[in-house]
Amino acid sequence: MVRRAGGPPPGILYGVIELHHLTKRYGSTLAVHDLSFTVQPGHVTGFLGPNGAGKSTTLRLILGLDAPTSGQALVSGRRYASLRRPMREVGALLDAGAVHGGRSAYDHLLCLARTNDIGSRRVAEVLDQVGLGGVARKRVSGFSLGMKQRLGIAAALLGDPGVLMFDEPVNGLDPDGVRWIRELMRSLAAQGRTILLSSHLMSEMALTADRIVIVGRGRLVAEATVTELTARHHSLEDAYLALTAGSVQYGGAR
Amino acid sequence: MTAVFSSEWLKLRSVASTYHAMATAALPIVLGIVWTLYATGLADERGSVRAAAPEQGFLPLLQMSLAVLGVLTITSEYATGTIRTSLVAVPKRGTLLLAKSGVVGLTMFLAAHVILFVTHATSRLMAGDRYLGFNEASFADELPMLLASGLSATALALVGLGLGAVIRSTAGAIVSVIALLFVLPGIAVYLPPPWNTRVSTLLLPNLVPQIADERLSSRLGDGFLPPWAALALLFAYPVVTLAIGSYTLRRRDA
Repeated sequence: MVRRAGGPPPGILYGVIELHHLTKRYGSTLAVHDLSFTVQPGHVTGFLGPNGAGKSTTLRLILGLDAPTSGQALVSGRRYASLRRPMREVGALLDAGAVHGGRSAYDHLLCLARTNDIGSRRVAEVLDQVGLGGVARKRVSGFSLGMKQRLGIAAALLGDPGVLMFDEPVNGLDPDGVRWIRELMRSLAAQGRTILLSSHLMSEMALTADRIVIVGRGRLVAEATVTELTARHHSLEDAYLALTAGSVQYGGAR
Repeated sequence: MTAVFSSEWLKLRSVASTYHAMATAALPIVLGIVWTLYATGLADERGSVRAAAPEQGFLPLLQMSLAVLGVLTITSEYATGTIRTSLVAVPKRGTLLLAKSGVVGLTMFLAAHVILFVTHATSRLMAGDRYLGFNEASFADELPMLLASGLSATALALVGLGLGAVIRSTAGAIVSVIALLFVLPGIAVYLPPPWNTRVSTLLLPNLVPQIADERLSSRLGDGFLPPWAALALLFAYPVVTLAIGSYTLRRRDA
């Protein structure tokens, strides 16, 4: 499902997210500074950092929404903007609130699906998968934050992509939903997909992620497995706080 | 391109604001009936009256409603943040704006002409053989004015879309459209002659009578443009605004 027939083209790391010296400057602020790391398929990679560390900016740069000041971000060896049907290769949830409230959940997803030649049957399928099948025809303005998160996840899954990125998907979810996300992330990774997941909930991240990338003030602070981090520190939370101690600042990025 | 076009068509159809704006745009039909009833009443008392044609008198209402709809097709995406979701699905930004232009152009062209022709037909039918001032010319003589009016409303909707892409704020773009439609023509009239006519000749609402080879107004007299030049300028307005919109959409971070 994830691997294409015929296998990946030679020399290209299929499903790998690569950042090469990625830099983004907004006026006098360096939101992302010379950031390089790779995200491998088959794992959940946690993307951590204090508020304003540049996590969301990095995701926007990978998705081609913002243009990097220098450096580049590649998905499967290509720039996101050069993908012909990007939703079939990369799925992303950036901001669950970024939905026109007057549109129904079904229509919202169908609008997205059509752009990438994805059929309406797949729309119904992902709505059922995220548990919104019963409210598919309801307007999104009446949805709770948790329901909007589920809708955003449904949008990311639409194209059945091999690479998935989620920015704070656990926000607003009930305990049931938190566990559902954890299991969804782990099962998607087990299918061989690349999962990049940002969150501030350390205990949750310790349960979900295999690898961790920590950024602070737009720079790479640490890139390690959860096992490595918890071996050196008491818990993932302790490791995170120790590593980001010098890089907590606000208003670094938009 | 067809995929993005069908997505944009669904976007337009799936929100209530489209129907509200369309209902406002169709008000000239109702107002035209009221107006003709009033004029026929007067004519029955006095024998004949010189009333303005309702499809011309209420044209600004149609133009404005469709222009607002054109603005909303893009600024509603900025207001809700949906623009990022759209650009992740369609990273080719020029294609996105082109698809929006196609949908807005075709829909507004049809809507404007249906509304104008219905307003025209009902008022002429209601007038019967009374002399109301606006029902003396033959349909063939009135056709250029009707077509020019419909084209002007379509052009304004596309100008609204282009301005929306540049300005990104609903309020800002609507104010600009109103300036173009009402404020600038109003100011131009009070310039010292011959500058009032020279400037007015080039303003979008004044292109309609020039395309139909009629005078601008009793105060301004004849415009300077032959019908073909006025028509060319009417096309240039949306083309230039959309080109600037496309350029800024491609250049700026979303």
